[in-house]
Amino acid sequence: MMFSKSKKNKQKFIACTGNNKKYEFVNPKELYIKQGKENIPIEIVSDKQGFVYIIWKKKKYLVDIIEKNQNQYEILVNGISYPVSVESPFSYKRRKYLAKNKEESKIEQIQAPMSGKIIEFLVEENQVIKEGEPLLILEAMKMQNEIISNIHGKINKINFHPEDTVMKDDVLIEVEK
Amino acid sequence: MKKIKSILIANRGEIAIRISETAKKMGIKTYGIKTSKEPSAFYLQFMDEIIDFTEITNDIPEFLDIERIIYCIKEYDIDAVHPGYGYLAENPYFAQKCIDEKITFIGPSPDSIYKLGNKTIAKQLASNHNIPLLEGSSGNIRNTKHAKLLAQKIGLPVIIKAASGGGGRGMRIVENIEDIEKMLRLAQNEAEKAFADPSVFMEKYVRNPRHIEFQILADHHGNIIHLGERECSIQRKHQKLIEESPSIALNDELRTKMGESAINIAKASNYRNAGTVEFLLDESGNFYFMEMNTRIQVEHPVTEMVTGFDIVEWQIRIAQDEKLTVKQKDVKINGWAIECRINAEDVQSGFTPYLGTIEKIYVAKGKNCRFDTGVTEGSNVTANFDSMLAKLICYGETREKAISNSLLALNKLQIQGVKTTIPFCKAVLNHPKFKKGDISTSFIVKDMKQLYHQEQDEEMIAAFWAALNYNVQLDIENETFVDYEKGKNMTPWLMNKRLK
Amino acid sequence: MDINGKIYKDFLNRIERFKVQNDPDKIKKQHAKGKLHARERIALLFDKDSFEELDAFVTSATPDTGFGKIDEAFGDGVVIGHGRINGRLVYIYSQDFNVMGGSLGTVHAKKIIKIQDLALRVGAPIIGLIDSGGARIQEGVASLSGYASIFHRNIQSSGVIPQISVILGPAAGGAVYSPALTDFVFMAKKTSYMFVTGPNVVKEVLNEEVSFEELGGAEVHARKSGVANFIYEDEENALLGVKKILSFFPSNNLENPPYIDTNTKRDKNIDKLRAIVPDDPNKPYDVKKVIELIIDTESFFEVSEHFAPNLVIGFARLNGKAIGVVANQPKVLAGVLDINSSLKGARFIRFCDSFNIPILTLEDVPGFLPGLDQEHSGIIKHGAKLLFAYSEASVPKITVIMRKSYGGAFCVMNSKNIGGDYNFAWPTAEIAVMGPEGAVSILYKKELQNAEDPEKLKKEFATRYRQEVANPYIADEKGYIDEVIDPADTRKKLITAFETLENKHVDQPARKHGNIPL
Repeated sequence: MMFSKSKKNKQKFIACTGNNKKYEFVNPKELYIKQGKENIPIEIVSDKQGFVYIIWKKKKYLVDIIEKNQNQYEILVNGISYPVSVESPFSYKRRKYLAKNKEESKIEQIQAPMSGKIIEFLVEENQVIKEGEPLLILEAMKMQNEIISNIHGKINKINFHPEDTVMKDDVLIEVEK
Repeated sequence: MKKIKSILIANRGEIAIRISETAKKMGIKTYGIKTSKEPSAFYLQFMDEIIDFTEITNDIPEFLDIERIIYCIKEYDIDAVHPGYGYLAENPYFAQKCIDEKITFIGPSPDSIYKLGNKTIAKQLASNHNIPLLEGSSGNIRNTKHAKLLAQKIGLPVIIKAASGGGGRGMRIVENIEDIEKMLRLAQNEAEKAFADPSVFMEKYVRNPRHIEFQILADHHGNIIHLGERECSIQRKHQKLIEESPSIALNDELRTKMGESAINIAKASNYRNAGTVEFLLDESGNFYFMEMNTRIQVEHPVTEMVTGFDIVEWQIRIAQDEKLTVKQKDVKINGWAIECRINAEDVQSGFTPYLGTIEKIYVAKGKNCRFDTGVTEGSNVTANFDSMLAKLICYGETREKAISNSLLALNKLQIQGVKTTIPFCKAVLNHPKFKKGDISTSFIVKDMKQLYHQEQDEEMIAAFWAALNYNVQLDIENETFVDYEKGKNMTPWLMNKRLK
Repeated sequence: MDINGKIYKDFLNRIERFKVQNDPDKIKKQHAKGKLHARERIALLFDKDSFEELDAFVTSATPDTGFGKIDEAFGDGVVIGHGRINGRLVYIYSQDFNVMGGSLGTVHAKKIIKIQDLALRVGAPIIGLIDSGGARIQEGVASLSGYASIFHRNIQSSGVIPQISVILGPAAGGAVYSPALTDFVFMAKKTSYMFVTGPNVVKEVLNEEVSFEELGGAEVHARKSGVANFIYEDEENALLGVKKILSFFPSNNLENPPYIDTNTKRDKNIDKLRAIVPDDPNKPYDVKKVIELIIDTESFFEVSEHFAPNLVIGFARLNGKAIGVVANQPKVLAGVLDINSSLKGARFIRFCDSFNIPILTLEDVPGFLPGLDQEHSGIIKHGAKLLFAYSEASVPKITVIMRKSYGGAFCVMNSKNIGGDYNFAWPTAEIAVMGPEGAVSILYKKELQNAEDPEKLKKEFATRYRQEVANPYIADEKGYIDEVIDPADTRKKLITAFETLENKHVDQPARKHGNIPL
């Protein structure tokens, strides 16, 4: 890793993961993670092929960044992905404030996770659905995939028809919370 | 029949490579097909000659284009064709066409393919030869009334299946007799949609069954042997994900019994070449014939590892009329082998296919470890083909050893660029019930709380890695030296012109 | 001066009163709304200790009428001054929502005008951090005249110094036109809004219920209206973005853009480019991957990412030097040109041309989007803007045709004839009057009608057409492009080509200004 260690002042980062867990790191460039009162050092190694590993407490973790947009990261550790949002103390406060003040967002959009062909819709407009309920079948890679609802709600609008080809991130279904 | 000197491998990916390796060992020249969907695919590097299909404008997928394939075999004067699995492997018309054109089709006769491919005929065949079957309709269901009668005779729960289907489509389980009309209609609709044939049949539904299959080899001289069983109970939506050989559920007695049944099925259908007989095994040791696959299977390597047979080699040798040199009593099963399928799928979001490019791949190869793959660095995973990237097959003297060797190999196997089922395989192999061998085809649905393996501190490591990278990014933004002076240096020519 | 004397004490007292005004409570109030204070924003943006404030102690004007109350406060709700960003002089005004809602009074306006004048006089970039309730009602027409003067200076400065607006709170009514006149608009999600008439008026006049977010939130302006060029999750990242975009800009229209040593090899290996365009002409691919491979490592800064994503625009570095990239995106709508993408491209090209930033065009365009909606909404005149902008631009212009280049879109996307300096093509390029399927339906109409299997025959003709007519070698041999290049050589070729053009200058005919089809 190439970075300067010049900055001596304390830089605090709050990393929030998908299930709303938060981890605080002060000056991560000093390469340790604090556990209890102990600072346990971290080692970063990369092999000949360019795989990067973190070694912590004698355990080796393969790490990779799949996506990064501003302060939003998707990190792969040993093949499992974790969404992480890195906040400063202020932006963390802001995030909490905005989450609290969030006006009940009425419409949730179900987007295509990949491009493919719609085989059939398993729901109809105005139907009430549960979280985890399959909404439609999308064929990609010659495989039929169920697209599953991530919220409870009512189907507000279906934007495509069977046989339609959709692109990644196209809004397939709008669900009213 | 004359000796085969050249083979067209009418398939792609890992199986094309697998076949070519054996062919090479036997001194046979290999021909591969290059398609427009993946003109620079990895498997092409293993072929002696490449036949270019990329310029063809045709709606039929390349590996299903019978006319074209036959034409090329004649044109290039190739002796034989190996269809691999999928595509033309179980197409009686193609097999017949090969016979008509005097091409050696490496596989069974068209008649066997047809009979065993139709489930209703296959069941008839089995029942005529006293092979245990799940009780069910001895033919297709005629109507709702018929279905109700049958269900009462067999006893609930029952399952309705498409006669010419597979892969879970057109299947419905009926628990209550009131549901039968609805389920029958759904199954028929699905069967009609998927296979253009609405016929369905009914059979007893076995709860928590194991999937046990027997590898068969049959030559043209009446010799038939089996190479022991494989257990493929770890399935998701009828897709096999982890297979092993032998099975912990079989003792020698049961193995002999099931093996004999498998051989009987093969005999009854006048079977030649390599094939697989699939059974369901219930909790009390009863087994039921399900179907026979008339081709090489994806999971054949586990059998090869414990028996020492090269199944593809025997496919070729049988096709060129050689006699089986091994008797059943000489087939010995040594140790244990487990195969993990590495698919480009996102386990965290319901096994959805994950498209992308394989940026890096690292495999620790060892004596006890075999890695069959059709991809390499730079390979693209596209929506055109199924999502299987590789098969990791590990050996151990015991099942415990095979599991621990598999876990070691999985931990060392690194793929960057796409998400894979590696964390899923680890989760299965680490599961106490799997370790005990207490598995069934509903293992994933019933016994797995989390579908992927996760170490305790992984989330924190992820958080740290993100924070560190963000920190470094911030420093770069804040400390980058921007040379504004350089923008002010201009040649007199430009300065003069710009000022005007 | 005696530091115990009255003169010095008075001086200190005044500073003390000033401090009270900016007490931590006020800052907390702003933080509670998820926003930073006007001064904190400035501190984040500028190099340490480089900011010098002007007019900190001015007081608000007394309104002519006794209507409403004016808070007594220093600065009249705006902080102005100058400082250094990455060592370069930049002028700034930052509205303070804590003082009368950041409303624009006479003095407030005068301060902004002062800083605008200074920036234009010295030829330095100007940034506006906007967080204001709009015109100060108490001050009436004086406040409106303030707005008009600001607009006028925005326009006078346009194309002379870079102007950036960062919306960090409300911007309503007339206030929106100043950002709209500047070169780039940044917004922070969920805490910034822009609209001409607010939700209350919309409710009153049209009886439509609409939320602030739906009417003029960051997402709406980034995706739908295209007003916002950049949107950010929070203010800190937004300000970081401002810093980053400035590193591509010269201080004024006479200078060249600055240089950054990006540590990227001139001949970095880009063999991957050979495999990026799919063999199937109907398959999409991501042009951003092409851009990333060609340019210096991680140097791409995309502009208007969410608006008209079928055309990708942004700044990048090539061998350390700033360039503007305009690229058709085959992944979205096959990279077709429509009204929105034409507008997006045209404005970007004109910005680059104003500030001597060379333009790289990556072309894979099947043509203009057909259809009633597009024609009725004026694709003719809007498409013409892109053509006008390209043709008018006198900065170095280079095109790489990656795949499709059909019809009018061939001409528009910086063809040689409208002033492209170097036009390269990859071997995968297809250059023709129209796409193969369309062309053969016209050329072989009769044959196709009489054919047994017209679809099959059409495909055969199309393949032949693609090979025999649409290949790049014909265009190359006739001189309509300069060279067919190996994709893996693209970076090297471009760096050399841009180097040769460093002294490029085009003498324009004397005129007041061209008449771009607005």
